[in-house]
Amino acid sequence: MGNEEAVFFSRVLTETTLSFHIIYATIGVGVPLMIMIAQWVGIKKNDEHYILLARRWARGFIITVAVGVVTGTAIGLQLSLLWPNFMELAGNVIALPLFMETFAFFFEAIFLGIYLYTWDRFENQKKHLLLLIPVAIGASFSAVFITMVNAFMNAPRGFDIVNGELININPLVAMFNPAMPTKVAHVVVTAYMTAAFVLAAIAAFRLLKGSNHEYHKKALYLTMKIGLIFAIATAVIGDFSGKYLAEYQPEKLAAAEWHFETEGNAPLIMYGVLDDGEVKYAIKIPYALSILAHSIPSAEVIGLDQFPEDEIPPLYIHYLFDIMVTIGVWMVLLAAVFWIGTKRRWKMVTTRWFRWLIVLGGPLSIIAIEAGWWLAEVGRQPWVLRKIMRTQDAATTSGHVDTMLVLFCLLYLILGIGSVVILRRMFRKNPVEQEIEDRNMEKGGDML
Amino acid sequence: MLNNFLMFYAPFIVLIGSLVLAFVVAPKDDAVRRQIDEEE
Amino acid sequence: MSLEIIGITVLWTFLFGYILIGAIDFGAGFFNAYSLLTGKKHILTNIIQRYLSPVWEVTNVFLVFFFVGIIGFFPKTAFYYGTTLLVPVSIGIILLAIRGSYYAFETYGSRGHKGYSFMYGLSGLLLPASLSIVLTISEGGFVEMVDGNPVLDYWLLFTSPLTWSIVVLSIAATLYISAVFLTWYANKARYFEAANLLRKYALIWALPTIITAGGIIFELRRHNPEHYANIQNFWPMFLISFIMFIGTVWLLWIRRNYGLAFILLAGQFIFAFFGYGASHYPYLLYPYLTIYDSFTNPAMAISLIVVFIMGLGLLIPSLYLLMRLFLFDKDYVRGKSKHHA
Repeated sequence: MGNEEAVFFSRVLTETTLSFHIIYATIGVGVPLMIMIAQWVGIKKNDEHYILLARRWARGFIITVAVGVVTGTAIGLQLSLLWPNFMELAGNVIALPLFMETFAFFFEAIFLGIYLYTWDRFENQKKHLLLLIPVAIGASFSAVFITMVNAFMNAPRGFDIVNGELININPLVAMFNPAMPTKVAHVVVTAYMTAAFVLAAIAAFRLLKGSNHEYHKKALYLTMKIGLIFAIATAVIGDFSGKYLAEYQPEKLAAAEWHFETEGNAPLIMYGVLDDGEVKYAIKIPYALSILAHSIPSAEVIGLDQFPEDEIPPLYIHYLFDIMVTIGVWMVLLAAVFWIGTKRRWKMVTTRWFRWLIVLGGPLSIIAIEAGWWLAEVGRQPWVLRKIMRTQDAATTSGHVDTMLVLFCLLYLILGIGSVVILRRMFRKNPVEQEIEDRNMEKGGDML
Repeated sequence: MLNNFLMFYAPFIVLIGSLVLAFVVAPKDDAVRRQIDEEE
Repeated sequence: MSLEIIGITVLWTFLFGYILIGAIDFGAGFFNAYSLLTGKKHILTNIIQRYLSPVWEVTNVFLVFFFVGIIGFFPKTAFYYGTTLLVPVSIGIILLAIRGSYYAFETYGSRGHKGYSFMYGLSGLLLPASLSIVLTISEGGFVEMVDGNPVLDYWLLFTSPLTWSIVVLSIAATLYISAVFLTWYANKARYFEAANLLRKYALIWALPTIITAGGIIFELRRHNPEHYANIQNFWPMFLISFIMFIGTVWLLWIRRNYGLAFILLAGQFIFAFFGYGASHYPYLLYPYLTIYDSFTNPAMAISLIVVFIMGLGLLIPSLYLLMRLFLFDKDYVRGKSKHHA
């Protein structure tokens, strides 16, 4: 196998692993927060339904955590297996947050074990809730640290290369690179948003499938509200990301927005297709790109004309941008209508079709996450480390990457199907009505 | 100046702000309780 | 002590941690599957599940810690080992993924599902075998430099008796460690029938463990004379290890003090593992890579060590809490409390 092939298959395998892992990772970061909020509300309002909600979410969470952990281990090792040259350099400069991530993960793992096996062990529910805090913190900080590494790939800082030697290495400067704040905040907040909308989709689905229990209605209202807040925060931080890109990675912004000529008063191009270098059927929002990039309608935005041909990312990332932004805006609208509608007693929000839209919102949010990551990664091409190392120079020289790709695809298929089957079986076998009844019986028994 | 603020500090402020807001808003479930009561 | 030595000692310690608790974990999965197959489920499953449930995720972190740490402290390993280990480690990842997820599927999703139990029992047993290949490769002789890139010679690797002895040792040691630990744990939980059965397993696997371990040292004489000569210099460590092994077997044989038996077993492996590691010094990969020429820059090394110390400050109390609540809590161990989500 020539090295070009090895590069190609390494890219496909990394993309496959990341695309699969990110689903479970996102849920893994977001759901502990949701469990925490639900349990907290339950304690505060002395409402058993919220506590049960937390408990049932926790049960499902274990399955997704298991798959998230093993696929996370896979990507961690694959980075060294598939991109040895990159990791050799990365090890020298950005190993610190990677190392911190293992501690965050360690912390989370220990307390998750404790939390799961101490339900009802404490007289005071609040003590049990306290055990969840390290889980949520550990989960979120895993995302923070790992995203720092990704930010470093976009804006490498904290070292100099002189005659091929790395000098003046400063691990903290590498961690706190310019890409870090917008990227970290965006990744964490979208994880919260997606977790909320996925849980909302489940509640809406139960309501559609015959259950009319108030448990699901409370769950739906809670998750949609939280989802709305994080969806709005996502959009705001997304705007900040635009400003970061305009200043530090203008080629990525220009390619994502199909902004060819450097100019002021730049419009934002949404949708459309590219035909022989000609943009067709697009919606142009006047001044919007200048505002996104610099907060000023007349500001000049650097276009693709400023970059050599071989340093421009593939232009199809515009479609990924469209998908991400459209879903984001759609979810804000959907959640806002649901919230206002519930407060104002609109009949619409309890109709079947509206609930189907909420169900659809779960998978849509995950698609938005995927599109966002593909945009982030493809948009950095041809670099693995911007302006320092090209992707093609980072890959392994091993000749078996294609076989490994097949094996891993099979693995992800098995894990994906397995986790869905198990989750369905878990909740089918023990519907919430049954569990509420059982718990009431137990309580009654205690009183006698 | 403003741009630097938006790029480096504002993201964390928004993130933490949204977390706080989520905890503030989460317990307010009068609307859904009323909805449940009305349906019964 | 130089930064290089501190780095490799920390990593080696965590690798040891993974091998010890991983072995308990993987062996337990295998015994569980085996008991399903032989209709002894009622004896073993309960006690095994009780130990495994809260700790399985922690086990995995030790491994992650090791490989992230080695890239941090010795970045050149990414180049040498990353390029050569694609196939063996990928197979390891797949086994690890099946092991971890199917364990969760069986435990939390459908208790007692035979297919899932076999899947994780078997993959857990193969996992040490596949990961042990890395140790074999580190002995050198299987990697050649072609155009400045390291290339692994699979034919040589898989026809070498050294490879297969290490594979057998990893499997035997996994089952031995696990059986000794679980004997003690079952005894503590007053599952005497289980403790008896596990004691039998422990005694069965003791012999293959010590024979292959000795055989490997013997094979090294031919495969890597330099390492073999170094091992001679550390003979007291291996002697202590052997005496501790005798102690464990003796205590199991006379059915006394299983707690001490497990401590001696841990000691046996500590001395053997660190003796082996020390004699391997300074090579990470014979003869290409030593801990000195692969070491990271001082700035990174110091910040990693600082983070490590701060991290330990967080971890040790948490691990203590975990052990106190589950491993050493009488009510939990004896199954009197049911507090699972």
